[in-house]
Amino acid sequence: MNIVETFDSYLNNTLRAEEKKAFESRLQQDAVFAKAFHEHKTLVDTMAQSAKRENFKQKLNNIHKELFGENTKIISMVRENSFAQRHGRTIAVAASTALVAVLATVAALSTGGYLLKKQNNEILELKRNVMELKYSNDGIVEGITKKKTKTVYAPANLEGSAFALNNRGYIVTSYHMVKSADSVFIQNENTERSHAKVVYTDEAIDLAILKLDNTNVAENWQVPYGLKNKTAEIGEKVFTLGYPRSDVVYGEGALSSMSGYSGDTSMYQISIPVNPGNSGGPLLDEQGNIVGVIKGKITGAEATGFAMKANQILRSLDQNASDSLKTELLTPISRKQTLRNLKRSEQVKRINPYVFNVLVYKAD
Amino acid sequence: MSVSKVQFSDEEFIEGLRSGNNEVLKALYKKHFQLVLKFIVNNNGTQEAAQDIYQECIIVLYENAQDPGFQLHCQLHTYIYSVARRLWLKQLKKAGKTFLMKEDEEMDLADVSEDLTQHLQKETDLEKLNTSMSQLGEPCQSLIRDFYVNRLSMDEISAKFGYTNADNAKNQKYKCLQRLKKFFFNTTGGVEQTQRLEL
Repeated sequence: MNIVETFDSYLNNTLRAEEKKAFESRLQQDAVFAKAFHEHKTLVDTMAQSAKRENFKQKLNNIHKELFGENTKIISMVRENSFAQRHGRTIAVAASTALVAVLATVAALSTGGYLLKKQNNEILELKRNVMELKYSNDGIVEGITKKKTKTVYAPANLEGSAFALNNRGYIVTSYHMVKSADSVFIQNENTERSHAKVVYTDEAIDLAILKLDNTNVAENWQVPYGLKNKTAEIGEKVFTLGYPRSDVVYGEGALSSMSGYSGDTSMYQISIPVNPGNSGGPLLDEQGNIVGVIKGKITGAEATGFAMKANQILRSLDQNASDSLKTELLTPISRKQTLRNLKRSEQVKRINPYVFNVLVYKAD
Repeated sequence: MSVSKVQFSDEEFIEGLRSGNNEVLKALYKKHFQLVLKFIVNNNGTQEAAQDIYQECIIVLYENAQDPGFQLHCQLHTYIYSVARRLWLKQLKKAGKTFLMKEDEEMDLADVSEDLTQHLQKETDLEKLNTSMSQLGEPCQSLIRDFYVNRLSMDEISAKFGYTNADNAKNQKYKCLQRLKKFFFNTTGGVEQTQRLEL
């Protein structure tokens, strides 16, 4: 067998088990071999993609022919937007002597249509204003007449922030929040107050992981971010969401140092003003990856915060958590950078449902 | 004529594209062609150019939708319009044409740069493959295609190309592929290294 045949057999999965094993261990050890294989695979994959693309193009051409025909001329769409839009289909006519007449008709129709549409738009806007007014009136009336039925809870001993780790109802917060707690609850605008158990703690890096008792609460979760394993860099813009008061508060700044208080390398220093209650909140980079967990600040100093590095979470779990917990916590969820390239306000809108207010009750 | 659904939601279009449903593909194709045609024709393009650009838009959507995590961040017609706009701008720029863009003021624009970057990278790779294939000439080109794309066995290939046995065909295929690699990766070093490697 020459080397190309071996590559092909490996890709087609026709190698015997021991051959496959030898092949894979050589891939690991022999860089030149690995490079050659990688090139081979790239080329073969590109050929497959090319064939697939050609097939699809052919399909599209057939569809085009079927829908719009081969020898029909489609009249230029200049200035007949509204006509075409209202009728929602191609104005296709066979090139013929009737063309001039048709053109004239289309032109006449479309001018009329254009004016008509413009008027409609203005009316629509007015109407919307009225509707808005009506709604806001209703709101006021409702506010006066409707009795509030909200349950009143006893104030918690400690409040802070937390964020969802995955879609399975696991939540990350700071250890110092939940230390010697009797019970822990989370809540936000989208999620009603729910009880959570502390399932993992690492005091050294100030990490606690909670799990919701009622996993139904997390049934429709689609956590839009992931933990970034690579460390962030000095100067990177970062932002956080948290609950220094009962409503969520946004804060942004830059990553100002790779180490935290007294040179602790498990932390970043950040130039975001953080307040009591921000503890346990997520620190995100511009692409919307979690790069840290807000931890605290230096007493008296403004705009200086500290955050635990997100990769510390992964490292801690890797070293200390049981295999089953690791699987539960770290099995990747399918997600395609849903926060990338979004405006900040849009990112925040998507992250918000997964940032929680943590309420901690203690006996004494 | 079969009874077909008249209206599909954006999600149904994406789902249909994923599963390769021809009925949905046809409905999708029909629904948005007008939009792109209008835009291209309004901006110095011909109807043929509109057809090309539109098909490329559908390809971008189709290939991105194959990713199970793909999510539309905007309405489908906004997505298609935004892709068409970018592709057409690029083409005009390439042709060195300066012009005033007539925008459709009723249309929103979505940020499609990530999807487009991937698409254009792929486009470059596929073009490179095409060039390499034509440089390769015959019978190499057909032989490689028959083996890697049409998945013919070495025996079938040897019969088709008139080699005395499968081993000869294998040898020939090996040589052809090494030449193709040379063209495609544009290096001589990589191929020689491969040849030196033995298992």
